[in-house]
Amino acid sequence: MTNHWIDLKNADVILAMGSNPASNHPISMKWIMRARERGAKLISVDPRFTQTSAKADLYAPLRSGTDIAFLGGMINYILEKNLYFKEYVVNYTNASFLVSPDYKGPADLDGLFSGYNKEKRSYDKATWSFQKDENGLALKDPTLQDPNCVFQLLKKHYARYTLDKVTNITGTPKEKLVEVYELYGSTGKPDRAGTECYAMGWTQHTVGTQNIRAMTIIQMLLGNMGIAGGGINAMRGESNVQGSTDQGLLFHILPGYNPVPNAALPDLATYIEKNTPTTKEPRSVNWWSNRPKYITSYLKAIYGTAATKENDFGYGWLPKLDVGQNGSWLNLFDKMHQGQFEGFFAWGQNPACSGANSNKTRAALAKLKWMVNVNLYDNETGSFWRGPGMNPKDVQTEVFMLPCCSSVEKEGSISNSGRWAQWRYKAVEPPGQSWPDAEIMNDLYFKVKELYKKEGGAFPDPILNLTWDYGEKDTAGKVKHIDIHAVAKEINGYFLEDVYDMKATPPKLIGKKGDLVTSFPSLQADGTTSCGNWIYCNSYILKDGKEVNMMARRGKDDPTGLGLFPGWSWCWPVNRRIIYNRASVNPQGEPWDPKRPLLKWNATKVGPTGTPGAWEGDVPDGPAPPMGTDGKFPFIMKPDGVASIFGPGLNEGPFPEHYEALECPLEENSMSKQRINPTIKIFGGESDAFYSCDARFPFVATTYRASEHWQTGCMTRHCSWLLEMQPQNFVEMSVELAKELGISNGETVVVVSGRGEVQAVAMVSERFKPFKLENSTVHQVGLTWHFGWQFPEDGSGFDSANLLTPTVGDANTMIPESKAFMVNVRKA
Amino acid sequence: MTEMVRKSSGDEILNHWVLAVSCILLIISGYGFLFQTEAIGSLFGGFNTMKTVHNWVGVVFILSLLFSMRHSFKDALEYDEDDRQWFKVAGGYLSHKVKVPPMGKYNPGQKLYYLAILGAGIAIALSGFAIWLVQGNQTLILISHLVHNVSFCIFIIAVPVHIYLSTLANPGTFQIMVNGTLPLEVAKKRYPKWMKAAGKM
Amino acid sequence: MANDNTKNRKAILVTPEVCIGCRACQVACKSWNQLPGIKTKNNGTYQNPPDLASAAFNIIRYSEVPSEKNPVRWLFVSRRCMHCDDAGCMKICPAPGALYRTKEGAVAFDRDKCIGCKLCVNACPFDVPRYDADGKVTKCHLCFDRIGAGMQPACVKTCPTGALRFGDRAELVSTAKKDGFGTIYGEEDLGGLGTVYAFKEEPKLYGMTDDPAIPSSVVFWHTVLKPFAVAGLGGVVAAAAIHYLAVGPHKEEEEV
Repeated sequence: MTNHWIDLKNADVILAMGSNPASNHPISMKWIMRARERGAKLISVDPRFTQTSAKADLYAPLRSGTDIAFLGGMINYILEKNLYFKEYVVNYTNASFLVSPDYKGPADLDGLFSGYNKEKRSYDKATWSFQKDENGLALKDPTLQDPNCVFQLLKKHYARYTLDKVTNITGTPKEKLVEVYELYGSTGKPDRAGTECYAMGWTQHTVGTQNIRAMTIIQMLLGNMGIAGGGINAMRGESNVQGSTDQGLLFHILPGYNPVPNAALPDLATYIEKNTPTTKEPRSVNWWSNRPKYITSYLKAIYGTAATKENDFGYGWLPKLDVGQNGSWLNLFDKMHQGQFEGFFAWGQNPACSGANSNKTRAALAKLKWMVNVNLYDNETGSFWRGPGMNPKDVQTEVFMLPCCSSVEKEGSISNSGRWAQWRYKAVEPPGQSWPDAEIMNDLYFKVKELYKKEGGAFPDPILNLTWDYGEKDTAGKVKHIDIHAVAKEINGYFLEDVYDMKATPPKLIGKKGDLVTSFPSLQADGTTSCGNWIYCNSYILKDGKEVNMMARRGKDDPTGLGLFPGWSWCWPVNRRIIYNRASVNPQGEPWDPKRPLLKWNATKVGPTGTPGAWEGDVPDGPAPPMGTDGKFPFIMKPDGVASIFGPGLNEGPFPEHYEALECPLEENSMSKQRINPTIKIFGGESDAFYSCDARFPFVATTYRASEHWQTGCMTRHCSWLLEMQPQNFVEMSVELAKELGISNGETVVVVSGRGEVQAVAMVSERFKPFKLENSTVHQVGLTWHFGWQFPEDGSGFDSANLLTPTVGDANTMIPESKAFMVNVRKA
Repeated sequence: MTEMVRKSSGDEILNHWVLAVSCILLIISGYGFLFQTEAIGSLFGGFNTMKTVHNWVGVVFILSLLFSMRHSFKDALEYDEDDRQWFKVAGGYLSHKVKVPPMGKYNPGQKLYYLAILGAGIAIALSGFAIWLVQGNQTLILISHLVHNVSFCIFIIAVPVHIYLSTLANPGTFQIMVNGTLPLEVAKKRYPKWMKAAGKM
Repeated sequence: MANDNTKNRKAILVTPEVCIGCRACQVACKSWNQLPGIKTKNNGTYQNPPDLASAAFNIIRYSEVPSEKNPVRWLFVSRRCMHCDDAGCMKICPAPGALYRTKEGAVAFDRDKCIGCKLCVNACPFDVPRYDADGKVTKCHLCFDRIGAGMQPACVKTCPTGALRFGDRAELVSTAKKDGFGTIYGEEDLGGLGTVYAFKEEPKLYGMTDDPAIPSSVVFWHTVLKPFAVAGLGGVVAAAAIHYLAVGPHKEEEEV
C-alpha cells in the first residue's frame, strides 16, 4: 500500500476492483464503512456480485480479465471530460515529457508497441524513451500540446477505448461504465480523494502488472497519489506478505528491494553501476542513487568482518542468477517437473493446492528425491504421494515433516499491507515438538556449515562467512536459541566504526562504533555501517542510550486526525505513513486540500538542519523545501522526480493495453489483432495445455477466497468452527447458466478444464449474471481454492480449484493467471 | 356385630388410592411448575427430579384412571328420573332440610364427577405426553400446553371438592375407601335403590 | 417478568446496513462459549449452519431480494436471541432460574436448573432457544459472563464494521435514530427487545418477523389461567369451609 488501512477512512471514493474486501479483508471494511459514514462512495467492480458489492453504492460487473479495457475507458473518459487535475499532472508527472518520435503504440501498430520481436516474444525498448536536451534533461511541454508529449500519446492511446468498445469487451452495461467513470473521475478535484483497493483479482492475470499500472495512471491524472485517502493500495493476501517481500523472499530481490545480482555483474562496482539510476535533473532526489550504501551495508550485515573493501565486501559470495534466468514459481515447478531438482523445502506453504495447475505441481513433487515439509499440519503437499492419482509404490520422494510454530507461538514482527512493522509477543507455548521457523533455520544452518567445514564442497565461502550472531553460543560455536531481537537489530543495522559527517566543519559524529544506526541517511558505502534491510533502518534504534524497538510501540496519539498514529508500531520508510506525501501539497507547499492536510510547509518553523522552513504533519519524503521554491520534486524514488504516466519499465509497453487472457472465450480481441499479451512466456509442456474458444471449455472461470478460509485452507480446514460455515468447495454460477445445464442449487457438480477437474457444490444465484458482449453471451463461474483432498478426511470438502488453473504467468512478475481461464461444468 | 355391605372391591380400593396419590403428586408438582415454587421443587429434591416424577407419575395416573373405568364407567353413564330430581335439590348439600330422592350405588354428582375426572384426566395425560415427547410441532405443543393447564384448573378445583365431600362433609364415607364396606343400615339409607336391587331391602 | 430496571438495560444494536457478512461474530461466539463445530454441508448458500443450533447461538442470515439497479440485493442480518423484555421463554418456563434476567437485562440460562421440557422453544416468538445433546436449553446469553465483568459480548468485540454494537439500550436507540435509521426494530415490541435492529427500510425486507408476539395461548394461560387456578383452589377450599360451617356435614338421621 502507498497508504495504509486506516487511511481508507479519508477517501471520498473507494474503488474496490480486483478485490473483495468485505470477504477477504474484513478489517479494511471497518475503515471503508467509516468513510461511507462521512458520505464517501464505495464502488465495486467484480465479475460477481460480492459481499463488497452488497455494501457498495455502485456496482458494475465485468468479465474476468478485462480490467485494462475498463480502466482504459476510464482514462479516456477522464481526458475527454477534462476531469483530470491539471496542476498535479503538469508538475508531478511526466505528462509533459516529450517521447522519442520513433515511439509507436498499439494505435499505430495494431496492438503492439514499437520494437517487438516476435521470436523472442519481447520488446527492444529503445524507442520508449524521452527526448533529451543538450544537458541530458528530458524535453518538456508544460502546455501538454506537443503531439509527442506523454499526455498527447496517452490521449491517443486511450481514445480507442470508447464506451462502445469497452462495453463490448467487458460486458459491463454502458450506463454503469459512465456512472463509475463519472463518480471516480470526481476525485480529480483538489479537495476530493479517491483510493483503489486491489488484491489477487488484479495481479493474477497475464496482464496483472499492467492492470495496476492502468490504475496508477488514473490516480496520477486525478492527483490521488501521495494524499490522505488516495493511493494504490495492494491488500495483501497474508498478514506478512509485505514483510516477506520487504525481506527479499522473492527470487529476484534482496532485502530492501535491491536486485539479485546476475552473472553479467561480476563485481560490486558493476552491480552498482548497473543498478544505480542517475539523473541530470538537479531537483530530483533520485533516492536510488543511494543504492551503493544499501548494498554495501547489506553485505556487511550478512558477512560481517569477512566482508572487506578488498574482497568487494563479499559480493562474490552472493548467489547470481544466470542472465535472463527467471526463478519464479511456475518456472521452478516446470523445472521440477522436468526432474531438474533433487530436493525441495516446502516451507509454510502447500503447493499441491496453492500452485496453479496443481496436477502438474503434484506430479513435479513426485520427481524429487526428497522433500522437507515445514508446516503446522501435514498437508496435501507432505502427503502428495498418497493423494489422488498417485501410487505410493511408484513415488520415490522421501518426505520429511518438520512441525513448526504458528505466529502466536513465537515472538517477532509482521509487516502489514500498510507497511507497518508490528511487534508481536509469544502468547502460548508451541505444542509438541514444533519449533519456531528461526530455530529450524538455526539448526539447519549449523548442520550445513559443519558439513561445509568438514567436506569443503564446491563453494563453502558464502556459508562459512555468514554472520550468525543471534544469541548465546555453545562450546561448539552453535547458537543455542535464536534471539529474535538480535535479528531485528541486525536488520536495522549498526555503526561498525565511529562515523562522521565529513561535509560538516568540523566533521560531526553521526554514530559511535557498536551503536544501532538511527536511520538510513546515516548508512555508508565504505563498509563502516551494516544494515540487513535499509528500508527497516530506524525500526530498532538507540534513544537516550537505550535500545528501543520501534515496532513494539503502542502510542495511540493521532495529532493530524487523519489516523496516521505515528506512535503506533513503526512503518517503513522512517515511519512515513503515506509515501510520496510531498505530492499532497501544491508546489508552494500548501495542501491541495486544506481540510485534509497531510503535510504543510511552514516557512518560519526551524527545520532539522537549524535553518528556517520545515514540514508539518506526516514524516515528509525528505526535508527539502517544496518544489515551487528551491525544493525538490515529490516522487523521490523516480530518477526524474515525477510519477511515470509513461512507464517504459514494464515488458508489455509504456501504456497498458487490453489483451485477452491466455484462455479466453473470444476468437478476437476487439481492440487489436493481438489477442493475448505478446510478451508472456508460453509453456509448451503436455501438462501446460490451454484452450481458447474451445467448445469443450465454454465458460470463463475465476477463483477466489471466502472469509472463512485462508489460502489452501491448511490452517482453517482444521478448525471445525470455520469448516462449519464453509464446509465444501463451491462453484458459483448464474441462474441462466444453471438452467442451461440443468443444474440445481446445492447440487454437486464437476468443473473441468484442460488440466484437470474438481468437484464442487453448485451455488446458483442472481449474483452471477451472463455477460452480454457484442456478438455473444459469455457465462462465467467462480470457485474457491481453499480445499484439498486430505482434510476433511472424508473428502467431503473436495479438492483444490487450482487443479483447473493454467500454467501461465504475468509477463513481468510471472504470477499465475488464476483469475481468468476456461472450463466446463457438468453434473456429477 | 353390625352386618356390613361391600361397596368396593379390593382392586378398586387399591386403584383408587393409586389414582389418588398419583393425582395429588401431579397436582402438587404441577402447581410447583406453574408457579415456579421453589419450596415444592425442594420437596422433590429439585425441579429436575420433580419433572421426572411428574412425567412418570403421569403414566401411573393415566393407567390407573383407565383401569378405574372397569369399575365406574358403566354406572357413570346411567341416569334415571331420581337422578334428575337429585340435581333439583342439589343433592341436599345446601340444606339438610330438603328431601333427596333415593339413590343407587352412586349419586349423579359422583357419576358426573367421575366423567369429568375421566375426561380431564385423559386430556391432561395426552397433552402431557405431547409436551413430554413431541418435538418440532409448535402448534400441537402450544395447544397441549393450554389443554394441560385448563385440565389442571379442573383438577385443582374438583379434587378438593371430592376430598371434602368424601371426608368432612360425609362422615363414614372415607371408611368405604379403606376397607370397602359399610354397615348395611347405613347403606340402606344412603343407597336404597342399590340395596333394593341387591335384594337387601 | 418485565424488567423494570430499564435505566441500566444493556442491548446489542444490529445495523444490517453495515454488516458485511464476514461472520466473525459466529466464530467469536463459538470461541468464547467453546461450542463444538457442527458437521454441515453446503446447501447452495453462504448461510451455514442453516439456522440457530445448540452449538450456534448466532448466525448471519444471507438473503437475496430483487433490486432495481443491481442484479440482486444481498442482505446480511445477524440472527440471535432478542432478549425480550417480555420474554415468552421466561414466561412459560416451569423451572425457576433456568431462564433468568441478568441485571443488564439479558435473558440468560442456567443449564443445571433447566429441566429440559422444551416449552421455551415454543413460546419464543423468534424460534430461538435450542436444546443440546444433554437436553438442556442453550441460546445467546448476551455474554452475561463478559458484560458482567465490564467487557463487550464476544460477537460485538470482534465485529469489524460496527454492525453489532453493545451498550446502554436507550443510548444505542437514540444514536441510531440520530444517524438516520427511521425504523428501530424491537424498540417497543415485547416490552422492548434487548437486541434492537436499526433499519432505513421495512424490517420485513430483511426477513424480520412482523409484529412479533408471544403466542396468544401462552398469554391467555399466563394472564387468565394461572390466576384462575389459584382463585379456583382458594375458592373451592373456602367454599368447603363455609359449607362445613354453614350447612355442616351430612347426618344420617336427617334422612328419611
